[in-house]
Amino acid sequence: MYRSPVREPLITGNKDLHDITVDIARPIETSANKWWWSLFIVSAIAMLWGFGCIAYTIGTGVGVWGLNNTIGWAWDITNFVWWVGIGHAGTLISAVLLLFRQNWRLSINRTSEAMTIFAVMQAGLFPLIHMGRLWVGFWVFPLPNQYGPLWVNFNSPLLWDVFAISTYFSVSLVFWYMGLIPDFAMIRDRAIKPITKKIYSFLSFGWSGRAKHWQRHEVMSLVLAGLCTPLVLSVHSIVSMDFATSVIPGWHTTIFPPYFVAGAIFGGFAMCQTLLLIARKVVNLEDYITMTHIEYMNIIILVTGSIVGCAYITELFIAWYSGVEFEQYAFLNRATGPYWWAYWAMMTCNVISPQLMWFKKLRRNILFTFIIALFVHIGMWFERFVIIVTSLHRDFLPSSWSMFSPTFVDLGIFIGTIGFFLVLFLIYARTFPVIAQAELKTIVKTKSSKYNKNKNGE
Amino acid sequence: MYRITKDIKRFSTILILIGVVAISYGFFQSLTATSDDEIKYTVKKIANELDLKLKVKLENEKYNDVGYWMDENDEVIIKTGDKSKYEDGTKVVITEINTDGEGGYSFSTKKDKKVDYSELIYKVEKKLNCSIDSSHIHSVEDVIYSAKHYFHAKSQRVWSSLLISTLFFLMISVAATLWWALQYVAQAGWSALLLRVPMAITSFIPYGAFILIFILVTGGIHWHHTFHWMAEGINDPLDPYYDEIIANKSAYLNIPFFMSRSFIYLLGWMFFAYLLKKYSLKEDVYGGGHSMKWYNKSFKVSVLFVLFLGVTSSSAGWDWIMSIDTHWFSTLFSWYALASFFVSACAFIAIITIYLMYSGYFKELNNSHMHDFGRYLLAFSIFWTYLWFAQYMLIWYSNIPEEVAYYQERYEYYYPMIIITLLINFITPFLLLMKRSSKRSKGQLLFVACLIVLGHYFDVFLMITPGTMHDHWHLGFIEIGTFLGFLGLFVLIVFRNLSKHQLIQKNHPMIGESEHHEIHIH
Amino acid sequence: MENKVIYGLYGDDDHVLAATKKIVSKGYRVNEVYSPYPVHGLDTAMGLNYSRLAITSFMYGLLGFGLITLLMWFIMISDWPMIIGGKPNFSYGQALPAFIPVTFEATVFCAAHLMVITFLFRCGLFPGSSSRNPDPRTTDDKFLMEVSESDPKKITEIKKIMKECGAEEVNVKNSVKELMDEIDGELSKKNKVSKRRKVKKSNSSFLTNIINKIKRK
Repeated sequence: MYRSPVREPLITGNKDLHDITVDIARPIETSANKWWWSLFIVSAIAMLWGFGCIAYTIGTGVGVWGLNNTIGWAWDITNFVWWVGIGHAGTLISAVLLLFRQNWRLSINRTSEAMTIFAVMQAGLFPLIHMGRLWVGFWVFPLPNQYGPLWVNFNSPLLWDVFAISTYFSVSLVFWYMGLIPDFAMIRDRAIKPITKKIYSFLSFGWSGRAKHWQRHEVMSLVLAGLCTPLVLSVHSIVSMDFATSVIPGWHTTIFPPYFVAGAIFGGFAMCQTLLLIARKVVNLEDYITMTHIEYMNIIILVTGSIVGCAYITELFIAWYSGVEFEQYAFLNRATGPYWWAYWAMMTCNVISPQLMWFKKLRRNILFTFIIALFVHIGMWFERFVIIVTSLHRDFLPSSWSMFSPTFVDLGIFIGTIGFFLVLFLIYARTFPVIAQAELKTIVKTKSSKYNKNKNGE
Repeated sequence: MYRITKDIKRFSTILILIGVVAISYGFFQSLTATSDDEIKYTVKKIANELDLKLKVKLENEKYNDVGYWMDENDEVIIKTGDKSKYEDGTKVVITEINTDGEGGYSFSTKKDKKVDYSELIYKVEKKLNCSIDSSHIHSVEDVIYSAKHYFHAKSQRVWSSLLISTLFFLMISVAATLWWALQYVAQAGWSALLLRVPMAITSFIPYGAFILIFILVTGGIHWHHTFHWMAEGINDPLDPYYDEIIANKSAYLNIPFFMSRSFIYLLGWMFFAYLLKKYSLKEDVYGGGHSMKWYNKSFKVSVLFVLFLGVTSSSAGWDWIMSIDTHWFSTLFSWYALASFFVSACAFIAIITIYLMYSGYFKELNNSHMHDFGRYLLAFSIFWTYLWFAQYMLIWYSNIPEEVAYYQERYEYYYPMIIITLLINFITPFLLLMKRSSKRSKGQLLFVACLIVLGHYFDVFLMITPGTMHDHWHLGFIEIGTFLGFLGLFVLIVFRNLSKHQLIQKNHPMIGESEHHEIHIH
Repeated sequence: MENKVIYGLYGDDDHVLAATKKIVSKGYRVNEVYSPYPVHGLDTAMGLNYSRLAITSFMYGLLGFGLITLLMWFIMISDWPMIIGGKPNFSYGQALPAFIPVTFEATVFCAAHLMVITFLFRCGLFPGSSSRNPDPRTTDDKFLMEVSESDPKKITEIKKIMKECGAEEVNVKNSVKELMDEIDGELSKKNKVSKRRKVKKSNSSFLTNIINKIKRK
């Protein structure tokens, strides 16, 4: 395939097909080092603490959270939206970038999709425990029941969320798994221990790499990508509609759906950066996740951060322009009220800090990238907090104005989900092929530095 | 090298002539619209002839609405013999009040004779040659108001249709510049062969800008009030036309600030389009070999343009379109409008490219390029629908009066048009471009692209007309003629520009990729 | 005459593609090509039909659309209509905007999942399936081409073409099983050796050893 001299190689270190196989199978075939174990133990402790807090919540009731009559929704929904947002980059990378023929996605799509799935699992926890009675969680589905015609309400955005999140989770999982089958087959074919061989044979579904199978696999991947692209947009749009369909000033804004999606991509890519920057060091993937990849992801963070910034300013301006007193107050209160620090933390982390990515030197600096990604996590968490808590805490009735302070349970559940997320990710990093090697091999001839050198300037 | 053909020249000249005739006819209609004083005089005269009082006042009228007939102590405060009025203006006299023993009351009325205005309406319509909606007439004043409204809309019509067509073609040229810049920003390879097409389209910006400035300036000097907030006295609390909501917005919506903003957007866009064009042409001459100088320059300008447009497209949308419905506001509006213009720009680029292919140019382009156009059209049609739905559904769902009035008006008077717009802009591209083979077929793509252009003209029509013409809207000779005239002008300018330069740019580093472009999987 | 299977092993996708084109042009049929990744143009060169999975997905999408519309109509309109948030549900059109998000999700749900199930079913893939590629190297960096022929003359011709087009190895076997058994034998031998030597992390050298052994033959 012809390649323009402008393009940078996406695989460095003179890799050929076999090198890729070896590099990607290595973490699975070797045992974990101390760093992995220490990180795993810390995450597992956090996870267990979180599980304890969840058990306490369910045993005692949602009253153990810091909620009150005015602020009936706070950390639970903030964390939910934060995690769902993080769960957006994966499918975006594998689906949207596939449609856009962005080959650089191939080194990072597997891991970011794994991240997506694990993040959506964390997100899904919150609505469940928020119900208080976990065991009747299935009531959210339209099932016939003994109460007569007592159905779920399809007019409610919360029910749309049930459908959106479950569709998104299951389709992402399937998309991810279908990509994994050929890679599991590769591990299977290299496995020496009978047990490993058995496990990976089971996981690989008997994949043999026949021409017809590949043909179908490619059609399926493309159609799934086509389906996932609007799906990604729809999920966070529907999450935003939980707020935007209401009449609460600060929640009801028409820009919410696309702006939430942009924010989700922004936060999701930041999480991708965080995990990949660690992963490439720990499992030696520097040749696959190159500076070019990091730079491209930084550019996406810059673009989506700017879109989010535009949306913040649009909201502020239209709040004034609308002439609606309540709307104007809601935004004034955000910026200058008792929660001003949350608003300005959001503004600094989400709008100002990514602007530093305009400098090529900074966006090709690993440490700097890592720090900005952490900033984005903080900023995106505060964004949801600002939208949810500051819009609620001063409602139409000044006598019921209130403030929110989280309890240790709120904090414990949040930290617990981070622990749970990391536990899942760490297990994944040692047992799964962390790069979609079969797909990556398709671009070896055009994008690997080994073959590129002599083809440059063709 | 492409040469503009005589056919194109002839075709576009005919279209321009149609446009000139339509616009002249529109101005003629606008200037000959009956004046307010004349309407008042005529209606009064006819009313006097028919012996109708100008204002029908109810004596001893206590309550305007029979819904309120209890006071705070649940005492009945209506007596038999009280006069009241229904909402439709029917006067009633309470004849009897009954209790149902459970705290509820009912009453009986004897209907008064309703004043019959139908003869007045008929005569006024005949005399002034207008049409009056009789369902809202409850007094002679209403007849005057309704007739005035008719003639205001009549004089407004040509300006609205001018604004629609100007914005449509101007913003398409700007969106085509965006498309062009995005190819650089994203380092797209497939499109390198056909980048002269969006370049030619950008040459329409100055013409569109000039006409738009004409419309805005004439609005500013009160030739017309397409922008309602420009009306005289609207910000003056002592004026009968005072509008508090609009007055509160006057820090932003005032003519000097508005004009300077408009100039900044237009000059900025023209400047960036000029630079992009300059670098692209310089690359033809000085580029080549391993020199990436001009490509890198184009890249930088493109990034800056995207950034500039990212901000200005939002505020331009508020200024030029959203402020027509001055009371209304929606945070999403400008993004939605930009999506509409962007998909139309994609369609125009595809149409021109396919036309050139049919005329024997662009031999290097293959099915895969068509496939990419098909994807663009499909994806952005869906994106447009997504934004349309997001804005509509949220406003419908919340049902807040100050927002929902916007769609209320559109639903009441423009319902079929909305449905047609959605069908053309979403269903047709969705069904017709879903299949791989249809995305790869020139003919089918051309058909869908033309439909999309038409559909998005309707969309822009729906953004503007309800705010300027309300229920007295037309999609007749003036609108269609103006559109055709602009189309002619657009085609003439674009094709003349195409024939000025090399049709395929030389020395673009991605040309090779574009020549070898092939989509393997679907 | 006994039917033989000719295996050509390639190390480059261009070579296998060229070989396929040439063999097909001579009037033979390429049974199968096992490859570590999809080779573009191979399906057309082998004369495979275009996959209709995308069409099934569209059908499944329509099915999902229909089912969810029916379900929502039954629940919200027919069985127990209510006025929710000031919005009556007396007919489906009245509250249509509220039904669109779920309609979309259900359409995508059915289109995606049912298509994937169709894919797995058509390819005979399922957890625990014992089928696999004859040569384990084809998931790593090799491409294995399989042609059946009985006429010895033609076999020689095919072998010649395969070699001309850059095949690294050409083997003629009686059946797939023979090849697989042979490779399995090599594998188990290798495993025993490695167990005895307690070599845990021998990855890259392992397959090269097999290759060398086969080459020595």
